[in-house]
Amino acid sequence: MINKKVKGQCILAAVGFVLFVTGIVLVILFSESQGVMKTLPFICLGIGAGFCGGGLGGVISYRKMKKNPGLAKQKEIDTKDERNIAITNKAKAMAYNLTLLIFAVLIMFLAVIQVETYITLVFTGAYLVVIFLYIYFFNKYYKEM
Amino acid sequence: MKNCIEELRKQRGIKQEKLAAELEVSRQTIGSLENGRYNPSIILAFKLAKYFGMSIEEIFIYEEEQKND
Repeated sequence: MINKKVKGQCILAAVGFVLFVTGIVLVILFSESQGVMKTLPFICLGIGAGFCGGGLGGVISYRKMKKNPGLAKQKEIDTKDERNIAITNKAKAMAYNLTLLIFAVLIMFLAVIQVETYITLVFTGAYLVVIFLYIYFFNKYYKEM
Repeated sequence: MKNCIEELRKQRGIKQEKLAAELEVSRQTIGSLENGRYNPSIILAFKLAKYFGMSIEEIFIYEEEQKND
C-alpha cells in the first residue's frame, strides 16, 4: 500500500519534471509566439513545478517516516483522529458557505461592470453546478444515513 | 458535555499522551474532551468506557439543556 503510494509520488515527480523542462524549452523556442503557444509554456512550467514539488515532498516524507516509525504512527493517528476530521469537515463546510456568498457577489459585480455576457454566464453556470452538486450529495447522504 | 475523564486519568496516574496512544487519538483530542470543548463519537465514547472499565453514563454527564452542535 505504502510502496504503491511512493511509486505514485515518484511518477508524479517524474511527470512534473518532464513538464517543467518542456515548459522551459517551449519558453525559449516560442518566446515570440502568439495565441496558445504564448501561454502554454507557462502553464507547463506551473503544472510541472507543482507536480514535481508535490511528488518530491511525498517521497521525502515517506523516507523520513520509514526511518522513524514513531513519527509515522503519530502521523497516522493525526490523520485518522476523529476531532481532526470533524474540524476539517467543519472548516470545509464554512468555506463552502462563504464560497457561495463570494461567488454571488462576484457575479453581481461582473454584471454591474458590464463585462462580456459569456463571462457572467460561465460564472453563473459554475455557481449553479456547485449548488447542484450540494443537492446531489445531500440526497445521496440522506439516503445512506 | 461534562465528563470525568481527567479525574479518572489522574486517579490512574496516566498521562494524556499515553491515554491518547491507547485510544489511537491525538493528545489534543484528549485535552479537548477533558475540557468539555469536544464531544466524542459514540465509538470513542465506548473505547473510553472500555478503557476505564466503566459505562458511558458514568463517564459522561448528560444535561437536558445542552446545546447540540
